[in-house]
Amino acid sequence: MKATTPIVYIVDDDEAVRGSLRMLMRSVGLQAQALGSAREFLDAYDRRQSGCLVLDVRMPQMSGLELQQQLNQRGATIPVIFISGHGDVPMAVEAMQHGAFDFLQKPFRDQELLDRVQRALALDAQSRATSAAEAQIRERLKSLTPRELQVMRLVTLGKANKVVGAELGVSQRTVEIHRAHVMEKMQARSLAELVRMVLDTGDATQKP
Amino acid sequence: MNGELQALLDACVDAVIIIDQRGLITTFNATACRMFGYRSDEVSGRNVSMLMPEPDTSQHDAYLRHHLLTGEAHVIGIGREVSARRRDGSVFPASLAVGRIANSEPACFVGFLHDLTPRRREEQQRHSAEQAVREARERLTHVARLSTLGEMTTGLAHELNQPLTAIATYAQAAERMATQPQPQLDEVVSALRQISAQALRAGEIIKRLRALVRNRQTQEDLLELNTVVRELVVLAESDARLNNVQLLIELASDLPRVLGDAVQLQQVMLNLLRNAIDAVSGLSSNARTIVLRTVLIAGQVELSVTDSGPGIDPAIRERLFEAFATTKPEGTGLGLAISRSIVESHGGKLAWRANQPCGSCFYLTLPAVSGVHP
Repeated sequence: MKATTPIVYIVDDDEAVRGSLRMLMRSVGLQAQALGSAREFLDAYDRRQSGCLVLDVRMPQMSGLELQQQLNQRGATIPVIFISGHGDVPMAVEAMQHGAFDFLQKPFRDQELLDRVQRALALDAQSRATSAAEAQIRERLKSLTPRELQVMRLVTLGKANKVVGAELGVSQRTVEIHRAHVMEKMQARSLAELVRMVLDTGDATQKP
Repeated sequence: MNGELQALLDACVDAVIIIDQRGLITTFNATACRMFGYRSDEVSGRNVSMLMPEPDTSQHDAYLRHHLLTGEAHVIGIGREVSARRRDGSVFPASLAVGRIANSEPACFVGFLHDLTPRRREEQQRHSAEQAVREARERLTHVARLSTLGEMTTGLAHELNQPLTAIATYAQAAERMATQPQPQLDEVVSALRQISAQALRAGEIIKRLRALVRNRQTQEDLLELNTVVRELVVLAESDARLNNVQLLIELASDLPRVLGDAVQLQQVMLNLLRNAIDAVSGLSSNARTIVLRTVLIAGQVELSVTDSGPGIDPAIRERLFEAFATTKPEGTGLGLAISRSIVESHGGKLAWRANQPCGSCFYLTLPAVSGVHP
């Protein structure tokens, strides 16, 4: 995945509020894009772009909560910091239950928001790195032959080459060759690393 | 005087007083006795001016002489409303008719007096009753306005929070930018401009709010309805935003003016808008639309509030504008009734029609003040 400068998206239907937030982000050297409605954001947003979303709860047409649900349905993982004009507890609870990163009440101290934005960006970078690594492992798994997958599964269950050979009805020597190919293709430097890759990708190897 | 005439005079419901050419009382009937509190023998032979308050007391002799000399009549044959004085000094209003007794020489005059006190009291009572009704209506109108605004406080708080948030954020951003090694002064200046604009915006909201909250007497002005609408929208927008409603404003240009009370008309609009918001609240938020429109139709200025809601149940259409007819669990049923009475007091009409393809349209028409364009 390409490394890009993260963008802080600001979605608020109040022009003055989003203008001020964009300036605040720029004042600390963050790249910011301000949009006036949930619809505009959905049109402009590319999920490959790293960043976070500062989102007003109350907006006409599509509210902040509805936008959050749309993003969830689309599997977008961008962290969402809600901002709200009132201490609307049920709404905050709902937002948090649907995975909001945080919920801030207007007006707020700049540092409060900036801290959360920085943490949200860090979280996004981390989860992007993780999913990038996982995607890489999946790619490598695809290069394995069915036999190599079988061998990998049994080996990562902790079975010795001799046992694997017996289970698959091949010689220990053949198992060793397959195993070497697996280690090479998966770019694993140790059995422990291979085991971790298999665990990270979940069920991928359970159905050879 | 013979007994028959005396009986006739005493049976008369008005006071009958006869004076001679010098103004001295010769006859004073029973009603006059009751009215003034004198016995007839107490006043007989005394100057009739004793029955008047000043300045008439001192001038009556002069009036009389003037009439006898010139024949000019100011009261005789005309009748007028005068002030009369009772024995106890109290003054009361009376209608007086005076005639000169035909062929009397020297001249004699007869006066008929009718005590106007009861009629005056009635008039005063009617007047104060009307005043009370008017005041009650104004109070009710005011209370209804406050209660509508009360329902809007969350939205209004939000509406004030927006400029405050922008002000705080711009100020903080400007501070950061100004304290950088190479300050971006143009950005700082732009932030300062925004700060003052937003402070004025907050002030405007408070100003509009105060205008609606103040208890005041009805006043009539030449109004540009569009201006009245725009002022209200400052407040109503918050309510719409709070409810995720899209509020569209379509104002006809070049509308003639109307005569009326801006605050009361805004109250009607506010009421219609709140009803419309309630009407669409059950819809998904992208379907919640309200259009506020002004148009000129056949010399009448029409303001309409159209919503995309489910419309009005035919069962209650008839009673829509009746007091205490409500479909809302928290409703008083007074909103539309008060709104209609306000519009009617402006010489206008408030009515409902179904909107196509869905929803309701409440519209009010006001007579345009012809020839006066903004």
